[in-house]
Amino acid sequence: MSGKTVSAIADVEFGAQLPSFTPDTSIAATRRFGRHVGWNTPRFTDHEGARKEGLPGAIVPGVMSQGFLGAMIHRWAPDAEIVAIDTVFRAPVLVDRPHTITGVVTDVDEDAGTVEIDITVANEAGETRVFGTATARLSKD
Amino acid sequence: MAEAAVDEDVLALRERFLGREFDEVTFVINGDRFAEYAKVCGETAPRFTDPAHPDFQAPPTFVSTLVGGRSMPPDFPNLGGMGMDAGKGVEWKAPVRAGAKLTGKSHLHDIYTKTGRSGRMVFLVTRMELRDENGVHVANADTRTVIRERIKK
Repeated sequence: MSGKTVSAIADVEFGAQLPSFTPDTSIAATRRFGRHVGWNTPRFTDHEGARKEGLPGAIVPGVMSQGFLGAMIHRWAPDAEIVAIDTVFRAPVLVDRPHTITGVVTDVDEDAGTVEIDITVANEAGETRVFGTATARLSKD
Repeated sequence: MAEAAVDEDVLALRERFLGREFDEVTFVINGDRFAEYAKVCGETAPRFTDPAHPDFQAPPTFVSTLVGGRSMPPDFPNLGGMGMDAGKGVEWKAPVRAGAKLTGKSHLHDIYTKTGRSGRMVFLVTRMELRDENGVHVANADTRTVIRERIKK
């Protein structure tokens, strides 16, 4: 299913993998997030400042990681309505380190027009940093 | 299935605090802010990124950025450990549009524990219920805080 988008519930199969997504975890991105949205503190925008707090480097704000998960679903199903999303922060997402987001459909309810999706943010070592579950509503037509 | 046993101190906290509103905040939603949020997070759907789009609205997860003021009742006891952000949850109910005036009311929605080799962790779920000027419930934004208790010697 790589690169393919869906628009209707009938397009979705149980177990389908969403196209993987590489989020922008650069320091430029967290600084832009800090300027325009919030979380504009060294922990998120400056590696040296984060190290002074005992972190290995700057980290991506949790609310930004949660936004990555929503974006991934919309890239796969542009018209989907995400009606619920729960995100578990297992470990920090380090800035300027590559991460990959993968997702899999774990349930399809054609009557309700909803799908359940498990989503994982992993670092280059394959370690899960953020885990999420989402319910998205798709067109029944 | 049998219900898991709940520690007595946690039961007391649940009885005392769950569902009790402790904070109220108002927000005027800035469309430029949520469009930037959408772009930085990697959204490509124009309804989230383009203010000129007829269905321009905030990405569902944007409401998590509104949380951040008081997250606990002022009289909540100090549990003796450091609180950390363990997760966020959103229940989306209706679109949040640019210029909307929202009221967020917060309460503790859940308190539970997990025990491992390093001791007990207490999880506190704070829920902010967001309503628009007409009283329409547009979203719930949950913050899960975990407190790793210090081992008592």
